[in-house]
Amino acid sequence: MQFTNVTIFCFFASYFCALILELTQFLKVSKVVRWSSFALAFAGFVAQTIYLVERSRHSDLPPLLGSTHDWLLVSAWLSIVFYLGAKVWDQSLSIGLFVLPVVLLLIGASRFVSDQPNPRVTIAYWWTMVHASFWVLGILGVILAFVMSLMYLLQHYRLKHKKAPLPALRMLSLERLSRMNWWLIVSSVPLLTLGMVTGLWMSYLRAGSAEPVDLAQLDFVMFALVWVGMTFLFGWLLVSRKATGRLVAWRTILACAFLLVTILAIEFLSADTIHGPEKQTPQASMNHQVASNHFGAIS
Amino acid sequence: MNVQVVYCNHQTADLDLRERLAFPSDDHVVRAYDELRARFPKSEYVVISTCNRIELYTAQEDPDDTPTHDDLAQFFSDFHQVPKTEFFNDLLERQGPAAVRHLFEVASSIDSMVLGETQIVNQIKTAYELSMETAACGPLTNALFQRAMEVSKRVRSETKLSEGRVSIASVAVGDFGKSIFDRFDDKTVLILGAGEMASETLTYLKGEGVKRIIVCNRNFPRAEKLAAEFSGEAYAWEQLDHWLPQADVIVSTTGADRPILGVEEFKAIRKKSGPKPVFILDLGAPRDIHPDVSDLDDGIFLYDIDDLEATCVKNRKLRASAIAKANAIIEAETKKFMHEIYHKATGPIIKRLREHWHEISRQELELLFRKVPELDDAQREAVEKTISRVVNKLLHPPLETLRDEARTGPPTGMLETLKRLFHIKD
Repeated sequence: MQFTNVTIFCFFASYFCALILELTQFLKVSKVVRWSSFALAFAGFVAQTIYLVERSRHSDLPPLLGSTHDWLLVSAWLSIVFYLGAKVWDQSLSIGLFVLPVVLLLIGASRFVSDQPNPRVTIAYWWTMVHASFWVLGILGVILAFVMSLMYLLQHYRLKHKKAPLPALRMLSLERLSRMNWWLIVSSVPLLTLGMVTGLWMSYLRAGSAEPVDLAQLDFVMFALVWVGMTFLFGWLLVSRKATGRLVAWRTILACAFLLVTILAIEFLSADTIHGPEKQTPQASMNHQVASNHFGAIS
Repeated sequence: MNVQVVYCNHQTADLDLRERLAFPSDDHVVRAYDELRARFPKSEYVVISTCNRIELYTAQEDPDDTPTHDDLAQFFSDFHQVPKTEFFNDLLERQGPAAVRHLFEVASSIDSMVLGETQIVNQIKTAYELSMETAACGPLTNALFQRAMEVSKRVRSETKLSEGRVSIASVAVGDFGKSIFDRFDDKTVLILGAGEMASETLTYLKGEGVKRIIVCNRNFPRAEKLAAEFSGEAYAWEQLDHWLPQADVIVSTTGADRPILGVEEFKAIRKKSGPKPVFILDLGAPRDIHPDVSDLDDGIFLYDIDDLEATCVKNRKLRASAIAKANAIIEAETKKFMHEIYHKATGPIIKRLREHWHEISRQELELLFRKVPELDDAQREAVEKTISRVVNKLLHPPLETLRDEARTGPPTGMLETLKRLFHIKD
């Protein structure tokens, strides 16, 4: 089998079909369909893993350091790991309805952002690794907090409106969702903070190099604003005594949506001059790669 | 003989109306029996009043003594001081086999909000016992209610109606409580009231791991008894204000005839408790907690009996095949019961007819034995047996016809004919 033949389409289609099967549960609850959905998601996970490993092997960089394209895929991959873990823990849980759309969004977004490695990686390789790890794990926490908050609001709506639970929509209890949400925010904000701190430290290290980082850029200001917003949410969560679960869920959704939209917007608009070179989408790079016969089958 | 029921339940009337027509305590029921006796002295009665239904069963030896639907509606109207026009269309009436079938359905929980619940059997039993204690019931209602218990047992043992969540409390806690709380072992449960409903709710909550149980009841010895049964703590009703802010789960099952907790009282409680989630199960009818309490803040999850209806409809769909089987049993049992009742009505006539004919044969045999004294004992016995067989064979066709007639309905005409033909007097 040619692993290089595995494309984004393979795992995107797998996750998409898994989501469709999850949605069919609303028409008729079936264990077979539920297991089929899980199997498709797992197949997608295997394909995505192969894709990332192949990318890493060809660029000679870990996926986290490869490019924006890679770390979006790593975020999606980590979300899928969470999804599969949750399904193994409780097969009847309807977590896929919430996680799979976010995963599809991240994979879809990765198709339109730069897949060229950051040229500054070699200057502080290990610091870059630490910085990217904090950043990706922080964003994963934010994504999951977003998912948990959505579930919380749906569950809260059902309970407040005294509606019977739908067999196709099995969610965790408000107490557990609230606790998970709290922990995800409380752990992801320090991770994002450490990501910011290590980023600043790297820019200091690169100050004298051939590729210095200019912090007076829109993208840095945007990242800083997002971080400040998340930090406020974090602080409010820690000190507030009147925070109801529903209020926390709403604020989390707003903060997380703001963060995700900002990051994706920066990448789409090619405004991210800190983390990579000028935007070159996988489609563009494919032509280049086909020409060089180096990485011809990735997209 | 006739059996009749007038009723309103969760399917025909909303909670507001049921609250107004309910008999919340034994005293109310006893007063109702006195009133009914005064109005319809030739009837037997059993009143069933639960949070989901108010049913009045009557039975009469002579069908002509049966009160009309309107008579019984008037009784409800006068007793509860509710204008008849406000509930007449929701107060349904059944007679004969339909009334018997209805009771069998109720006892088997086919008619319950929570299909397969066992609580209704105890409620019917209690209602029947109270009727016996006050001499409101009679031979017909005795037979009817005892048979209803047997049918209920048969339906539960021969169908899967009782599998899964079967009580109001278990559905409430299973489908709503467990969606609010992840675990119950660290929660404080406050029970208001100490009746059977409270006891059943506690049994289920205990099964979920509840450790701290507080019971408050106006009748303190009953609170103590219930608390002791579930390793809880009993407190006087006056300490309610202290415990309400501390409770995570509040289960109210009092027999109060008006809400014991209003919006203003609950506002004060939330000031003390903060925004923590509180799961309130109002299982009282009339309601113990004002429904507007639910809108006070995001953390209050209040459910009353009617709120459980959606879940019950869902359970009902899942158990469609069990319901079909249960209905078949109920139908067969109804036919059997009605046949027995009708047949029972023929009993005295058959007995008298048999006695009459055997008496005649005995007299004729005595004359014969006097005329023929040479017959020995063995011969006399043989003659007696022959005559007895002849009498029985002659009696068989009319009695068989009477039995057949009783299968389809009361054989009133046939009984009258027999009485006239053979000069049988009452």
